[in-house]
Formats: sequence, structure tokens, C-alpha cells
Amino acid sequence: MRGKGAPMKTKSCNKRLIIYEIRNAIGNPFIAFFGIVFPVMMLMIITFSLRKQVPSSMVREANTGVFITMSLIIPMAVILLGHSANYSQELEKEIPVRMQLFGFSQNSIMLAKIIAQTITLTAGLIFYSVFSYILVDLQSPKLSSALCLIGCLYVMGICFFLFAHGLSNIFKKFGPTYTISMFVYFGSMILCGMMGIQTEQLPKALRRVASFLPMSYVSSDFIDFWQGGSYNFGPMIQAFLFFGALCGLLVVYSNYKNRRVIK
Amino acid sequence: MLLTIHNLQVRYGSQLALQIDCPISIHEGERIGIIGSNGAGKTTLVKSILGLTSYKGSIRTNLKPEQIAAHMQSNHYAATMPVKTIMETILDTNIRKNRELQELISYFEFEKCLHKRYSHLSGGQKQRFTIIMVMLQNAPLTFYDEVTSGLDFETRQKLMEKLVNWYQNKSNTLCIVSHYYEELEMLAEKILILDQGKVIAFGEKKELFRKYCGRSVFITDSTKQNQELLREYKKLKSPEHLLAIACPDLETEHKISELLLQENVNFKRSDNDIEIMSTNAKAAYYEREGSAYEDQIMQ
Repeated sequence: MRGKGAPMKTKSCNKRLIIYEIRNAIGNPFIAFFGIVFPVMMLMIITFSLRKQVPSSMVREANTGVFITMSLIIPMAVILLGHSANYSQELEKEIPVRMQLFGFSQNSIMLAKIIAQTITLTAGLIFYSVFSYILVDLQSPKLSSALCLIGCLYVMGICFFLFAHGLSNIFKKFGPTYTISMFVYFGSMILCGMMGIQTEQLPKALRRVASFLPMSYVSSDFIDFWQGGSYNFGPMIQAFLFFGALCGLLVVYSNYKNRRVIK
Repeated sequence: MLLTIHNLQVRYGSQLALQIDCPISIHEGERIGIIGSNGAGKTTLVKSILGLTSYKGSIRTNLKPEQIAAHMQSNHYAATMPVKTIMETILDTNIRKNRELQELISYFEFEKCLHKRYSHLSGGQKQRFTIIMVMLQNAPLTFYDEVTSGLDFETRQKLMEKLVNWYQNKSNTLCIVSHYYEELEMLAEKILILDQGKVIAFGEKKELFRKYCGRSVFITDSTKQNQELLREYKKLKSPEHLLAIACPDLETEHKISELLLQENVNFKRSDNDIEIMSTNAKAAYYEREGSAYEDQIMQ
């Protein structure tokens, strides 16, 4: 006589899965270096060289401009590079398939990863802000401006996550996924003024491409209302909508492509 | 009925990986052994049932994909993560509070491995790790896809014994894919033989054996002396180094055993040898199809 087994349960995104994903993200050296150490390092190097190039009365403003621009590296490195590196390697080893076979849906895994990445991003931003304000002479922001920057960084983080997740799901291999992520990472850094060239200094065609990237607005415009003032958010919101829609479509397509169906 | 496969066709590019024309049904509580050489379509079949590969045709079941547990050949987890963390996350449980899991961990002597990192586990430990988690799922339908491949003989034997004993009084339906015939002899009641993406035979192990081998077989070394000694009896297809003689009835069985004993020849008598059975099932299939079995082996 054989005993009857209890039915297997479908698992949703839960606390354990989120903690697991946080450990998974932090264990990635790409995230630890490029997302947490690198922005502070870049800020220190650039602001040090600025001291000799700008009048002493402008140093604080110039430093703050660099601080705002370098903050963009955190979501790009933690999520765009970190998640694409981590997740594509997982896919290459079929780890997400194993998780699905143990009852986790694609959406549960994705949600846990989003939450884990958001927590890692928050830790990175706190580390960056605390060290920057201790080590570099910076202007204090108006609360609404600071909240605006933080909000933009999180929305960008979500867009980068969708992009990295979708890309990894399509290629399922570390090599091509990471190559494209690196291309987008360095491309965005060049186009959005993170490599020393301002967006206005770029050729017309590249300026047009940069206008579709929300990072370029943060990098060039946020210093203007950091301590108050008005700003026309229209073009930036349009860029966010375009960039977000592109990333969203990528992840929807990749999840559809990888769905489990028994006909 | 748990699952029925109708007119299944799986292609990888232009290559036909699997074609199942006649319906195959899996019933509750069955233990099915899936056998075939490399490229036969075994894993493709499992992946199709799990919804992990696209296919034409239909796999009808009331089970949701999450209700089918599987131990696949690819057996990786986050390499740097402690085994205990992976296990508790995947199973969404606390080992200290889960008696059933504790029982499984101790049954598979896995306690000392819990605090190791996954990358530090040996091949056998990795297999046991996944088996524990698959078993705890207690799914109505469970697949084991070559769980013992890459393990040494002793570890393989121990693992299979544990599997057999664990499932002895349970109702779970099992599908076991294996290269090792002796493993299927221990676990399977039904056999599905695949070759080059086609179904060679499917049915009760005993029935298939009777159909392709007879009542029993005598297996000896394929020496000239043995061939001469047994020349008047019906030979079955067998691996080159072996001589397999079919026994259609008890009388023939007595005659052959007496003869072999008299001549002091070492032999094995079997009424469930899956290797000989599948070899002869393949030979019969290709004969029906009009191509020589030897040609198919060469491919």
C-alpha cells in the first residue's frame, strides 16, 4: 500500500527569497566595486582636479555637479552591470530553471531580484552620499531637489533592471549579455556627461541620442535647481517614458519567450 | 490518468529530436524507466513534459508545471552560497522546524554538508542535495534525469538503494531516465525505450521482456566454446562480448541450465534483463521499419 503525497505548493516572492537575492547580489564583486567603491573614487579624483581649474568661489557648485553626475553610476553599475552579469551567469547554469522547477514562477523570481537590487541600490546611495559629504565640499540641497534626484535614480534603477533582466533572458549567456551591458554603460557615460565631456559638446546626432536618455538631464540640469529654482521636467519625463517603455517591452518579450507551457 | 502524450514532435532547428506518434499515457503511482542511448530524446521528452522546450502535438495533463518535480542533469546553484541557505530558500522552510526535511537530510547522511558552500560539494553530495529537495516536494509526478551519471559505482549503488527504499510505500509517479540498466531493474515497472528520437517500445517491463526475449534468458561470455555448446538454442541480440540465449519455456530453461552446469560454464539467468530486452526491442523495431539493426547502431 502506497501513501498519498501532499500536493506541491506554488511559491511566491517571500522574505527568504529576497534575503537570498540580496546575498547573491552582494556576493558579486562587480557590484561591490563598480557600484559602491568606484563612484566615490571617481568623485574624489574629479573634484581634486577641479580645484585647480575653477575659481575657488565656484568649487562647491562644481563639486556638487560632479556629485550629482557620479550618483548616476550607482544604479548603472549595481543594476545594469551587476544584475546582467549575475543573472546571465545564473541563466547559463540554468539556475532560474531549477528555481522554477521548485515552484517559483518567473515573476516571483523577478520580483525578489527587483527588491534585492533596490535594497542594494539604497545601500550604495547611502554609502556614496555619506562618504561624499564627509570627504568633499558640497552644497546642501533643497529637500525637494534631493528627493527629485533620489526618485530619478530609483526609476532609472527599475529601467536598468528591466533592461538587464530582459537582455539576460534573451541571450541566456554571460558573454553577449555583458558585452551589450558594458556597451550601454560606457555609451551612456559618454553621452550623458559622465566621462568629462558635456552633452552640449557632443555632435548633433549624439546629442539627439542623449536626449532619449534620462541620465543626460540629471547630469546636466539638476545642479541648476539643487538649491532651489524652477525646472521644466517635460523633456526628462518624455525620456523616462521612452526609455522605460523600451526596457519594459524587452522584459515582457523575454518573459513570454521563456514561459513554461504544457499544451 | 496523470498525463497523455499525443503526436509529439520536437525539433532543434532542422533536426528532429523526438517524435511520438502513438499515444503514451502515464498513470498515477507508476514507476517508468526511460532508456536510450545519447541523442535518443530522453531529456527532450522530460523537458517537453516540464514545459521547458517548445513542441508540436499535445501533452494533456491536469497538473500545473509547478506540480511536476524534476531532478535534471544540469544541477547548479549559486556557487558561493551556503548549502543550507539555498535549501531553505528553495524549499521555503526552516530546516530546524521541518521534521520531514530533517528526516530526509539524515536519511541521505547530508548533515555535515549543510554548512559548506555549494561549490565545495562533491558530485555525489550535489546529487544528494537536489534529490533531498526534489523528494520533499512530494509531487504527484517526479522525474529523475540521470541522477547517478558521473558517480562512481559504489556511490551510484548507495544512492539508488536510498531512492528505491524511500519510494517503496509511496504513491508518487516516478519517471527515471538512466543509462544504467541495473538502476531501472531496481526501480521501474514500466519501460519506455527511445532511440534516435523514436519510441521503440513502451509497456510493462515483464510484458516487454516476454515479447522480445521470452520466458527468461541465459547470458554467458561469448566464447567459441559457449557458442558451440549452445548452438541449437535461439540466440538473442546482445552486446558483442556476451551470448544471450532465449528460453521460451521452463523445459528449455532446465535443459540449458543443466548443460551449462555440466560443462562448468559461468552464466546469469534473468527474466528482467533490460539491456538484452532493449537491444532486442530495437532490433525488432528496425526490422519492422525495414532497416538493419546493425546499420542503426553504426549511425
